[in-house]
Order: sequence, then C-alpha cells, then structure tokens
Amino acid sequence: MRKTLRIARLTLKEAMSRRLIPVGILVSLIYLVLFAVAYNFAQDRGAQAITGQRSRVLVGIGMASLTLSGLYIVNLLSGFLALFLSVGAISAEVDSGTLQAVLARPLRRSQFLLGRWLAYALMITVYVSVMASLVLVIASLLGNYVAPDPPRAIGLMVLAALFLLTLSLLGSTFLSTMTNGAVCFTLFALGWLSGVIEVLGDVQKNDALVSLGTTIAILVPADQLWRSASYYVQSASILAASNTLGAAMPILANAPPTTFLVLWGMLYPLALLGSAVYVFAQRDL
Amino acid sequence: MRPNAAPAIEITSLNKVYGRTTALHELNLVVQPGEVFGFLGPNGAGKTTTVKILLGLVRPTGGEARIFGLPCTDPSARRLVGYLPENFRFQEWLTGTELLELHADLADMSSAERALRIPEVLRLVGLEDRASERIRTYSKGMLQRIGLAQAIVHNPQLVLLDEPTSALDPIGRREVRDLIRSLSARGMTVFLNSHLLSEVEMVCDRVAIIDRGRVVQSGRMDDLVGGEPELSISLDHVDTDALRLLLQFGEVLAYDAATVRLGVADTSVAAVIADVLPRAGYRVYTLVPVQRSLEDVFISLVERGEP
Repeated sequence: MRKTLRIARLTLKEAMSRRLIPVGILVSLIYLVLFAVAYNFAQDRGAQAITGQRSRVLVGIGMASLTLSGLYIVNLLSGFLALFLSVGAISAEVDSGTLQAVLARPLRRSQFLLGRWLAYALMITVYVSVMASLVLVIASLLGNYVAPDPPRAIGLMVLAALFLLTLSLLGSTFLSTMTNGAVCFTLFALGWLSGVIEVLGDVQKNDALVSLGTTIAILVPADQLWRSASYYVQSASILAASNTLGAAMPILANAPPTTFLVLWGMLYPLALLGSAVYVFAQRDL
Repeated sequence: MRPNAAPAIEITSLNKVYGRTTALHELNLVVQPGEVFGFLGPNGAGKTTTVKILLGLVRPTGGEARIFGLPCTDPSARRLVGYLPENFRFQEWLTGTELLELHADLADMSSAERALRIPEVLRLVGLEDRASERIRTYSKGMLQRIGLAQAIVHNPQLVLLDEPTSALDPIGRREVRDLIRSLSARGMTVFLNSHLLSEVEMVCDRVAIIDRGRVVQSGRMDDLVGGEPELSISLDHVDTDALRLLLQFGEVLAYDAATVRLGVADTSVAAVIADVLPRAGYRVYTLVPVQRSLEDVFISLVERGEP
C-alpha cells in the first residue's frame, strides 16, 4: 500500500509539474465565470418576460435547461479529462523508457498501476464534484434553481467518469497511446449514441432499437450514468414538462436509475481495473 | 540463507522467444559476488533481453535466472540490484534530488538513510551543484551521471549497467571507469553490458561474449586476451626457407608474401630472430610483439553477416 501511495503521489506531482492541475483550475474558473454571466443575463431577461402563469413555466424550463446544460458540459469535460489523463498512463511510460527504471525497483506492477489509477481517480472525483457543485450553486444563487438531490447526481457523474478513466487505463496496458485514444473515443461516442438510440426506440415503440441501445449502454454505461444523474437535478417543473411530452430528451432521463445500473456502474470499473492489472502483469517491457 | 552466499547472478538454460525470433537460446551464466563482469555482443545479440529478464521486466520462455539465490521474478531480489537502462529516460520534470529520492524510497531506504546517502551519491557523480535543477535541463553526460547515481543510490550489491558510457565523451568514459573500479573496490558486483570493447577490456575481470542469443566464449579477461605471445615480422619476401628458419623459434600462425605471424613461447626471441634473418639474406622491416586484443577475440568469434 505504501508503494501504491508513493506512485499516486508521484502521479499527482507530475500533474502539478506539467501544469495540468494549475492550468486546469484556471480554465475551469473561466468556464464557471462565463456560465454565471450567461445565467445572470438570461435570468434578467427571463424575469422581464414573465407576464402570466404560462410564461412563468416557460422561463422556468429555460433556466432549468441552462442549468442542466451547464452540468452536461461538466460531464462531457470530465469524460474528456478522464480519457486524456489515462490514455497513455502505461503505454507512454513504456515508450519513453521511464517505466523500466521504476519497475526495476522492488515494486509490483500492480502497485504501479493502482497508484496511477488512484491519483487519476482522485483528480477526476474532485473535478466532477467541485465543478458540478459550483454550477448548481450558481444556479441556486442567481436563479433560485432547486435541484432535488445533487449528491446522488454527482455520485453518478463520478461513476461515469471513473468508468471512462478505467477503460482507457486498461487500453493503455496493451495498446499504443494513439490506438488506445482512437478506441476509447469511439466507445465514448458510441455510449452517447446509445442514449439517442434508446429514446428513438422508445418513441417508435421499436423493441429491436431499444434492446440495441440497452446493450450498448451496458458495455459503455457512461452516458446512461449521466442521464440517470440528470434525473436528480431536474426541477419538478422540467420533469413535469418532459413527462407531458411523453418522452425524455436524449441527454436527460425522466426516471431514476435502476439498482442494476448503479451496481453495474460501481462493479464494471472494478472489473476493468482487475483486467488492467492482469494484462499489465503479463506484458514484456 | 544469506543472500551473498549464492552467486550474484545465476542463469540456467534461459530461453526467450519473441514470435519467430529466438532472442536467447539455452543461455547459461554465473557471476560471482565482487566480480566486474563484461557481457559483450553485437547489437541485437540478446544482452538487453538478458538484463531485462534479470529485473523481471521480461518473462523468459524457459529456464531460470536468479539474483543472489532469489528468483528474478521475486520483487525483493530487486532490493539488492541497481539498474542503469540503455537509452534510459527519467521523469524529466523531477529535479536530480527528487529522482534519487523516488528511487531510494522505492528501494525501501528510510528517510534518514536517504538524507545521508543522496548528497553523498550526488558528490560521487559530480552533480551536487545541479541537483536542485530539473532533469530536463541536463546535458547528455549529466543524464548519464544521474542515471548512474540512481543505480547505486541504495547501496546495491549488484549493479547492472546497460551501455553506461555510450553517451559520454572520452573524459566522461574515464570517470565512469573509475567509478566502476571504486564500486568494485567496495565489494559491489558490476555487470556491464557493452559493445565498447576497449571499455570492457579496461575494467572487467571476466567476460562472456554472446552472439544470437548464445554464449560463444567466456572466461577471465587475462586468459582471453593474453593467450600465446605472438610476433609480427615483415620481410622483403617470404619463402619456404624463411618459414623453415622461423619454425625453429615457434609456430607459424599465418603468413603472406611479406609478413609472418609467429606464435612464440617468449617474445624475447625477437632479438635472436632479428640477428638470424639478415644473415640468411632477408631484409627485416619490422619485428613487433603483438598482444591479442579483446577486439580480435570478439571479431573471430562473432559471425558477421545477417542471420
């Protein structure tokens, strides 16, 4: 455990030294400031437009959409960040030759791999939690937007990002960095498509389409996890609106996640991590 | 069992196959504690593969490799070993001191030991002034020095150096040779992978020459390069009478129209030969004792041409 933590510390230090953390904080702040400014303008104009009950509901839906979009972007960014962090976690170290000297020490490969995963997982968890909380705080302060259950939403968003992180870590144990990037981004996009396919299947009452979407979502659950997370941050008015429409939008869900999805979201990354440890241990360096 | 009662390195019937390529074939090798051992061979002969197997970085297809009696797959064997990889690169965003901290920590040195040892090693490799700078600012020679420093920072009993002087200028090479000698004087076993034969000749006690994954020769350096003393004689012409005359003094190893290589019991017969040949009507241009160099041995053993 001590050595796993030592590698985790080294990985965090690398993220600092290579300015990933400081620059990351800076651009995240810029994003939040721009979001707050946009929110403020929209809120002002919206308030002026309210003349009756109907317009009040429409403005409410507009502000909720802006909040949810803000969170959706955080979700997308956390996915990219997860993939970029770990896409070369092993492969790039092998190529540059830094790994050989480190692993020539009394250090198990599993300790190295888990140390790296731990550091990345920490960064991702902090990123998602802080950014999602701040988006919701801005919405609440500027627009009195009330998200029903932010902790659950953030938890599911973290699981989505951890899945992507572990997927690309596994890929980096046996694929070149570039190939791994191509594979992971394709799977990422496929996961996103699964949401669209499912919603379309729902609207068409097309069982084949629905089961295709569900299958993809099991293999690549990142988008499914996000949509479930969105359920917990939709205000009562927007949930009511999407229910009257009879179908969810592709990026939002109008029902809470199943227990299966939550368990799968927790166990699947662990299974991927176990596979990564196994594959890495077999490899010649 | 005390670890240093066993050979420093013991390799038995080691095989490694990559796809269709045989990198190592039934390799056997023993290095005793305290030796400076040279592992020679042309590029692609299997030197680096052997070292990587010893460090558990590569899994052998068959056979066994032990370090001080411990199987090389056991991480605790690596506590006793320091390694300078060929074409190594280190985390260039660390400073020299931080790199040594990392490696000493991973090698299980306590922080008190590290605080004493790291400045000492930095002095030893002459980097004490640049230790707080990031490695990305280092020159090639400095990189090689910090590489050597990380290999010996934890006072290992065995150091595996893969081409340690290839990036260095003549002065740097000499310093590395001196360092190897001083490590050896302190009882450290040094395993030196190299194709720079003159380097090996200057520091090693024993060598093994490897070609296409097999050991083709091994032995004490003195036995390999010493051998029979030889004289190289160049004359105005060489005929059967000249050869007959020279046979009285030793064995004719090779000859052509104007030179003879003569194996002798003692090179002091040169003075007699210098007297006898002119009297028999030959003009002698040169008469020099020749010592077989490691290069001669190497070239005669290692087949040329592509496999």
